[in-house]
Amino acid sequence: MLRDANILVIDDEAVIRDGCSRILTKEGYRVKTVEHGEAGLGLIRTEKEPFDILLLDLMMPGISGMEVLEALRTIDPNLIVIVITGFATVESAVDAMKRGAYDFIAKPFTPDQLRIVVNRGLERKSLQREAENLRKEREKSLKDIAYEKSRITAIIHCMVDGILVTDPDSRIVLHNPAATRLLEIEGLEIIDESLRRCVKSEDLARVVTEVLDTEKSKYVEISQEITLGEGTGKVFLRTNTAPVLNEDGEIMGSVTVLHDITQEKQINRMKSDFLTMVSHELRAPVSAVQQQLSVIQEGMAGSITEKQGKMLARAKERTKGVLDLINDLLNVSKLDSDIVVQHKEPTALEDIVRTACELMEPEADTRGIRLKLVASQPLLLVNTDRENMEEVFVNLISNAIKYNVEGGSVTISLMTEGEFLRIDVTDTGIGIPKKDLYRIFDRFYRVKSPQTRTVIGTGLGLPIVKGIIDAHHGSIRVKSTEGKGSAFTILIPKTSG
Amino acid sequence: MGETARVLVVDDDFDFVESLKMMLENQSYEVITAYDGVEGLKKAKEESPDLIILDVMMPNKDGYAVCHELKADPKYNAIPILLLTAVVSNIPTTKYTQRMGMEIEADDYVDKPVTPSELAKRAEALLQ
Repeated sequence: MLRDANILVIDDEAVIRDGCSRILTKEGYRVKTVEHGEAGLGLIRTEKEPFDILLLDLMMPGISGMEVLEALRTIDPNLIVIVITGFATVESAVDAMKRGAYDFIAKPFTPDQLRIVVNRGLERKSLQREAENLRKEREKSLKDIAYEKSRITAIIHCMVDGILVTDPDSRIVLHNPAATRLLEIEGLEIIDESLRRCVKSEDLARVVTEVLDTEKSKYVEISQEITLGEGTGKVFLRTNTAPVLNEDGEIMGSVTVLHDITQEKQINRMKSDFLTMVSHELRAPVSAVQQQLSVIQEGMAGSITEKQGKMLARAKERTKGVLDLINDLLNVSKLDSDIVVQHKEPTALEDIVRTACELMEPEADTRGIRLKLVASQPLLLVNTDRENMEEVFVNLISNAIKYNVEGGSVTISLMTEGEFLRIDVTDTGIGIPKKDLYRIFDRFYRVKSPQTRTVIGTGLGLPIVKGIIDAHHGSIRVKSTEGKGSAFTILIPKTSG
Repeated sequence: MGETARVLVVDDDFDFVESLKMMLENQSYEVITAYDGVEGLKKAKEESPDLIILDVMMPNKDGYAVCHELKADPKYNAIPILLLTAVVSNIPTTKYTQRMGMEIEADDYVDKPVTPSELAKRAEALLQ
């Protein structure tokens, strides 16, 4: 109910005006009175606070109440009008209600009668407001939805990468022009069509099906490269497919982002062709020279003097340096091309670590180093590319063995830490000097000290490890005390994220 | 072993063949040589050596193919094969070289260049 309602009384009789004013003001309403129609309409037009109720006499000098009613249709159609009629003129009251009045009250009336009819009018007013508010709200949310939709459409239409959204049955529900262009299905009506039917890539269809498979692949994100077309028109796309989940974690569909990597591929091909050429053309003669030097050095091509032997040893060291450099170059190209391609699926990290340990066991044995695996919980799952992750641990464990001391140990422990899985690889080795710590993840950086001089490496192991961990949205950090050992800590987001 | 073991060295690089030959002769092996995959396969079949040292990257027919053909043939699959890998493997080196070597059933593998003592050790082990 409206408490501080605004009421206007238009009546030529002072008694009525004063009476209404007194009764209604006592009720807590604000009341204004005027004595004829023109003044009333004027007030309605100019009043800042719109009137909620109008008490309107029908029989007045000047313009009549009916004319006021007529005028109100355009000025304020929502105004609740109660007409005041003479006792014997019920017909005109009915007539007035046909023209939009809400109720009537006949003269003479008691204060109670007035209160009742005004309150009813105010109830009506408040219902009217509520309805109006609801209508506005609905209109606004409809507008918001329409706006949101057009905004999403505008955004995805602007994207250079293709976007393909499907429902749980692999039917396309949303896509952008880039998607149809990249998939070479421009101009086809593909909404509601099955993905398998309209996309010329079996690999993509398979991955989408896999992602939509509730049993197999909750939270899986699959990256892959697909090829379309033949010969010179061949197009390479990197696709990233993930399920779309609702609040309850149910799979509502899939979204795939398509990125054109044809040019990258061409450049990469040129680079790897060049590197293969370098490998063959440089590596072969240099290793031939080195092998010949060995033969001479060992005296197999005739006896040599001590001085010649020393020079040969030195020459061999230099050629070995060149060979290492060639190897590093090839490993860098491997690093650039390999890590970007991933096929992630939930995998028990413990299995991966165990495999890595088994691979490194022989090397640890020959150096008299103990490998220990400590897993606090079995079967911790992470979304990971198995081969890449294996490489991470092989690298870390291999380092922990290489930079260890006789009779030392390497401990690998797995545990949960908040939203992450934490893996520590701790050794009892020579440690890393403080000044080198911040650079060990740089490419080609190797700690140079008398102890590390004999250790063979390319300076690319840890950068590769870091690259892989980064690709898993994880982090790696290292703590080390010289002479006591190093501890590498990896955090990877849990699968149920 | 009563008589001298015969070793077939197959590599397209003349200098490599030459230095391998000197290393092997130093160990008192008899050395037969071939300079590409096709010739290597032919000599392997004609001469029936006790050991084949086989380069991977060669024109005409590469070492993998030669190895595969010999190992698929019951007449020759008993001849031990030592692969010379110049393929720069991933890191860590051993893991991938090993995998590649095992896949094509070679008996052992060694990275080029090889030192005389390394070669002597591997050859001796394979000729046991």
